Amino acid sequence: MKTVKNVFRRKLRAFLTIFGITIGIFALVVMGSLAEKITLLVNGGTRFYADKVTVSQGGSAGFSVNPISVDRIPAIQAIPGVRLASAGITLPLDKEQSASFGVPAMISASDLRGRNLESFKLTYSQGRELSPDDQGKAVVGADLVQKLNARVGGFIKVRGRSFQVVGILEKTLTIPDDAVIIPFRDAQNIFFNDLPELVQKNINPDMLATGLTIYPKPGVNPDKLAEEIGKKYPQYDAIGPAKFQQQVTNSTHIFTTIVFGVALISLLVGGLSVINTMTMSVYERTREVGIRKSLGASDGRIIRQFLGESAFIGAVGGITGLALGWLFVLVANKAGEASGTVIFLLTTRLAIGSIAFAIVLGVFSGLYPSWHAARLNPVQALRYE
Amino acid sequence: MNDGGVILRVRALYKTYELGKENLVRALRGASLEVAWSEMLAIIGPSGSGKSTAMHIMGCLDTPDQGEVWLEGRRVDKLKRRELNHVRSRQIGFIFQGFNLIPTFTAAENVALACEYAGMPRRKAKAAAARALTGVDLGDRLSHHPSELSGGQQQRVAIARALVNEPAIILGDEPTGDLDTINSREIMQMMRDINKSTGTTFVLVTHNPEVAATCDRTVCMRDGVVLADEECRPG
Repeated sequence: MKTVKNVFRRKLRAFLTIFGITIGIFALVVMGSLAEKITLLVNGGTRFYADKVTVSQGGSAGFSVNPISVDRIPAIQAIPGVRLASAGITLPLDKEQSASFGVPAMISASDLRGRNLESFKLTYSQGRELSPDDQGKAVVGADLVQKLNARVGGFIKVRGRSFQVVGILEKTLTIPDDAVIIPFRDAQNIFFNDLPELVQKNINPDMLATGLTIYPKPGVNPDKLAEEIGKKYPQYDAIGPAKFQQQVTNSTHIFTTIVFGVALISLLVGGLSVINTMTMSVYERTREVGIRKSLGASDGRIIRQFLGESAFIGAVGGITGLALGWLFVLVANKAGEASGTVIFLLTTRLAIGSIAFAIVLGVFSGLYPSWHAARLNPVQALRYE
Repeated sequence: MNDGGVILRVRALYKTYELGKENLVRALRGASLEVAWSEMLAIIGPSGSGKSTAMHIMGCLDTPDQGEVWLEGRRVDKLKRRELNHVRSRQIGFIFQGFNLIPTFTAAENVALACEYAGMPRRKAKAAAARALTGVDLGDRLSHHPSELSGGQQQRVAIARALVNEPAIILGDEPTGDLDTINSREIMQMMRDINKSTGTTFVLVTHNPEVAATCDRTVCMRDGVVLADEECRPG
């Protein structure tokens, strides 16, 4: 109680200092939520690619739009160690992709030959999965339900075409949440329409794919297999789990750096303002320190008193920053749901971490002023006007 | 504990302050003094005579450059900071001219703080503070802040705070300096009564002849030394 009273002796100053920390923690929570979402996506991706090799046309990476021909499957299938090669198509949901954080909404299709070998199992909150005979049907990822106004039995528009929704996916917290899964043949048609006219003339739409998924035989190392495929067909990019991991690590590294940068700035700004406030507070209360010392207060008690106040400032700033950040994430995700871009994820570890960070910041910044107060000469402190 | 009936003995105290780089103030130049148990002693002297410095050293708020301070038969001038804190919290009570109460604390909280620093648990400290304030007729002002009390009442809170840990000696630095004549007399009478009823020793630094007259004995200081009784002329 005394701590609270002491901190709010100078209400405006206390408020401004707390506000400084609030802003820092707010930024940390928002940026951290972004990074947490990315990390989760990446972890999901890592799980997705854990036991297979993806092959795409050279010169493209990730969600490739360069076509690869389905008639290459038998040749790749013949490579020792390959259990099955399956063709797939991944395209952006909106042809004119606007810049956004996170994973853009995608159209995803596969020839379904590998679905029994898939270790990344999808579960359905409603409806059913696609069957090889389906045409003009679609399964919608959890984060796109609102954007596409999807319900089982209803119709959605994908690139101007009408698809009947047969299933809605359970939330996976990773890539499939932002995907519409459609039959392979339908995806081939959409892809075909995307291609320049000149290319269209020389291509059979039934042969189109954006990538192949290679499932290795049991006991075969997917990374070794990717290497072998790469050697045999240098025109293709064959990516195994290790390479995927390496690629995404590079991109998540940037986010980690941003979050770290924000944390550092909030540490500096918030920390300096706490040091300033506590130093001022100690100066103003020099006489009080003198009185306490004349009553026999130990150095430790004086230090604890002022450290308690700076920790309190840190904690209040941290809690309000977290509350504001949480509110922001909530509102932004709600708004993002409509457009299918849910890009924040406030995890428990981030929430607890940011509060702990704020308290540690408060305590650390209060160290010098508290120590200074404890070392004051009692006689001089008592004379201080 | 037994030092020939002496509770406080200072021997040949020297203290020099540095004011700026070349200005040395020799506040004490061999001051010696003995205070008997249960005595009420006044130290008078002109400004700059070293009375306050002597009081600060006797009260373990400061240390001498040279000389000895013995309190209740124990030498205290060479003690470490931690031990000095201990002595201040348990063996000495202070009363200052400007009352020196913490403005954001209530009367009871100001008094209880002294108990807490002496190691008393919070609840006991609260009860002890209430008792001490009742003893100085402020039982109905426990939750008043200093700004809600008159000067005389504030000084009574300070007396309660000085007494609450039952120290053997109370040091006062111009305890009536900020009070009008009526309050000043009242406070002096209160200290005199406490001295008589509890045997608590009082050493009061003062300019006020009336305060000195209330005490058992008066010593004078001049130029950093305590004068012999015959050199000491009242007024």
